[in-house]
Amino acid sequence: MASLIGRRLIALVAVMFGLVVIVFALQAVIPSDPVRAMVGASASPAVVAQERHKLGYDKPLPERFVDYLDRLAHGNLETSLRTRNPVTQDLGTFAPATLELALSAAALAAALGVGLGLLLVGGGRPARLLRLGLIGGASIPTFLTALLAILVFYSTLHLLPASGRVSDTLVLPNGPTKLLLVDSLLHGEPNLFWSAFVHLIMPAFTLALLPALAIARTLATSCEQIMREDYVRTARSKGLRERRVLLRHALRNAAGPALTMSGLQFGLLLGGIVVVEQIFAWPGLGLYLDQSIAYSDFPAITGTTLLLGAAYVVVNFTVDLAQAWADPRIRTV
Amino acid sequence: MKLSRARLAPICLVAGALALAGCGAASTTSSPGTSTSGSGASSSATDQILRIPYLADMSVPDPDIFYDIEGNSVILSTYDGLVTYATGSTKIIPDLATSWTISPDRLTYTFHLRAGVHFHDGSVMTSESVKRSFQRRLAVNQAPAYMLRPIASMDTPDPLTFVVHLKSPVNPFIDYMASSWGPKVIGPGALATHAGSDHAQTWLQTHDDGTGPYELTAFDRGRQYVLTRSTDYWGTAPYFKEVLIKITPDIGTQQLELQNGGVDAIMHSFPASELNSLPSNVHAEEFPSFLRLLLYVNTNKPPFDNPAVRASLRSDVNIPQLVAEAYSGTATPSIGAYPEAILPNQPKLPYAPDTKLATAGAKAASTKNITLAYTADESGVQRRVGELIQADLAQAGWKVTVKEVQLPQVYGYVNNLKAAPDLMLQTNTPDASHPDTWARILFDSTGGLNFLGFKDPTVDSLLNKALSAPAAQATSLYQEVGQDVVNSNEIFFLGDVKNVFVLNKDLTGVEQVPAYPWTVTLADLKRAAG
Repeated sequence: MASLIGRRLIALVAVMFGLVVIVFALQAVIPSDPVRAMVGASASPAVVAQERHKLGYDKPLPERFVDYLDRLAHGNLETSLRTRNPVTQDLGTFAPATLELALSAAALAAALGVGLGLLLVGGGRPARLLRLGLIGGASIPTFLTALLAILVFYSTLHLLPASGRVSDTLVLPNGPTKLLLVDSLLHGEPNLFWSAFVHLIMPAFTLALLPALAIARTLATSCEQIMREDYVRTARSKGLRERRVLLRHALRNAAGPALTMSGLQFGLLLGGIVVVEQIFAWPGLGLYLDQSIAYSDFPAITGTTLLLGAAYVVVNFTVDLAQAWADPRIRTV
Repeated sequence: MKLSRARLAPICLVAGALALAGCGAASTTSSPGTSTSGSGASSSATDQILRIPYLADMSVPDPDIFYDIEGNSVILSTYDGLVTYATGSTKIIPDLATSWTISPDRLTYTFHLRAGVHFHDGSVMTSESVKRSFQRRLAVNQAPAYMLRPIASMDTPDPLTFVVHLKSPVNPFIDYMASSWGPKVIGPGALATHAGSDHAQTWLQTHDDGTGPYELTAFDRGRQYVLTRSTDYWGTAPYFKEVLIKITPDIGTQQLELQNGGVDAIMHSFPASELNSLPSNVHAEEFPSFLRLLLYVNTNKPPFDNPAVRASLRSDVNIPQLVAEAYSGTATPSIGAYPEAILPNQPKLPYAPDTKLATAGAKAASTKNITLAYTADESGVQRRVGELIQADLAQAGWKVTVKEVQLPQVYGYVNNLKAAPDLMLQTNTPDASHPDTWARILFDSTGGLNFLGFKDPTVDSLLNKALSAPAAQATSLYQEVGQDVVNSNEIFFLGDVKNVFVLNKDLTGVEQVPAYPWTVTLADLKRAAG
């Protein structure tokens, strides 16, 4: 287990370094002038030059890269050109909303994926119809699901709000976790909890849908293979009910591929965050990243990319641990 | 069937959730965007809350740094300048200064200030406050500081008189004072208390201390900003007690929220093609603005380095048809190099479709493969214009690739003009209602919006002369500059775009200044009874 953790930590550093290299390479490839965009059209050349010097944009790219790595090692992600805040501060503002959304969506995807996967294993006509539905569902792009959800649940049925993280008339508590579902309970504010909950439903479901379908199909296929194994036949011959055989004997052994798929799908989920946060006006990292890209705010883009990259590596590491739990053979590898 | 405790628990949880959902659903029927909170706000209280969306966060609510368009309504609602523009015109009227005089040599401006004006922290506004605000803008030295650089010195002979001495006459100086990005007066107490090491820049990223009708009481980046009616405003108290500005980056979501009462108005980027099919509970109001659609031509490489080929572009596009088709009546073909309201009597633009001339131009080109870039906009109108121009140019024999670019990329073009696109569409607006604020950023060789390197030493020289020339001569010089640019065929003036506000039917009192794009005076808005 210790070597697994060590390998993952090395992978984390390597991924972070790779991401910084890629974002810096993009700065060199894309011909843009973020400093001019920042100070505005009427700023005199002297003001532009002064800001360029202040921000270090007048240095050669390799030198800036080394400076950035040095600052990164000290936890400094530079200052956003758009918000003029330290990027670490901005990430602290926007990350909790994304964390809450991503965790909810991941939980929803896992629950839906396992539920649908087990239904598929059931076989028969319902399973065939469900499989057809899953293939159809998987072909709907996330932005379309989001728009359809808003049209149905907000505009037509008036059941759920279309945008934001919480009702605009409510004041947000200042921590401690900045996850509104948690903080509202800690502060004993049921109105806030309810508002946060109903605002979360559509974005979380939209984000969870595609990963859930992928997990369901992988789990079903894996279960179907396992259910043909000798030990399963033995369990059946002992007179155990099919449901018990599936849940007690087959599911744990079939979980490996589904867990791997969950880890991969988390990357997809993070990719979908930009679109989902945009459409649902969810004040998270996706929205921050989208606005930063439009501004060529490279410190913000780099900081957000690093954070999302780290999250991806950490989640996949957690998946590895879960797999090791599900299949003890992995621990010795 | 007997239910075990283990089985009963999830059923109870689901039933409870459904019951709660039922409660929530019942309260969402009338206005889902606002009433899911269970905040208990009464209908009369809600009636006095105005909700408007922004497509993106504003950069910062600091008037000495802010230089974007999205966010103008926050700055103009929380701060006042010395003078402003009258509604629907370019006429300068009093704001914090009740009157002003300009010395015959145009070097000294004396502003007589309004008495009894309080900052949001309760302190009284005086000439010293104005002086310190001007000094801060110069010290912060960001983009809007250029408006104050002509100042040689400032005097405060008494608490209600503020005198500015210029280094040399600057014709647009009083327009700078009226610009939405012009100097605003900030409470000196707050500036001193929160000065830190950055002239209170950190504090002003989330607070204000102006004299405007609203106070910035919450700045929750990415989510919403709250403006609360000032209790001590010197002018007529606004109708709305609170303005909630929600960050809603998707125009489709904004439209659905407007339709369902979640927001009261959409201030810009509403798709023009949908204006004729608005739902019955909303209406659109259109106002003239100085927003102008321009086509930049890259003369630093073939084919448009050839003046004859460039000139044929005049005949390629049917501009009235293009503008009508793309903007659905929310723009008109430009009549000159400047917005007509800031420079009247300009000669007519020499653009007219002519298939023969257009085809001849394309034939004479050394390459027919060209790139047309446009900057991204949420309404999609610039993409539509790009596609229509592409079609017109294709008829003449050009092969046009249309591509979307972001603004910072456009700012980077001057660094490598050979790699820049051949043509570029961009919508721009001047800083104020003065021809200099348009010509200097677009036509001067170092102008900030001179994206594709237009360079004409005569134009630079004329602009420098016009800056301090007597009024009549200056007007003539600006006209000459405009004519030179039109003759160069390096910038084409396609359309004058209107400000279009789409509002709930019950919202009245929409007032707008052409020089303040995308912005209505929030303090003038009211909700009609019933």
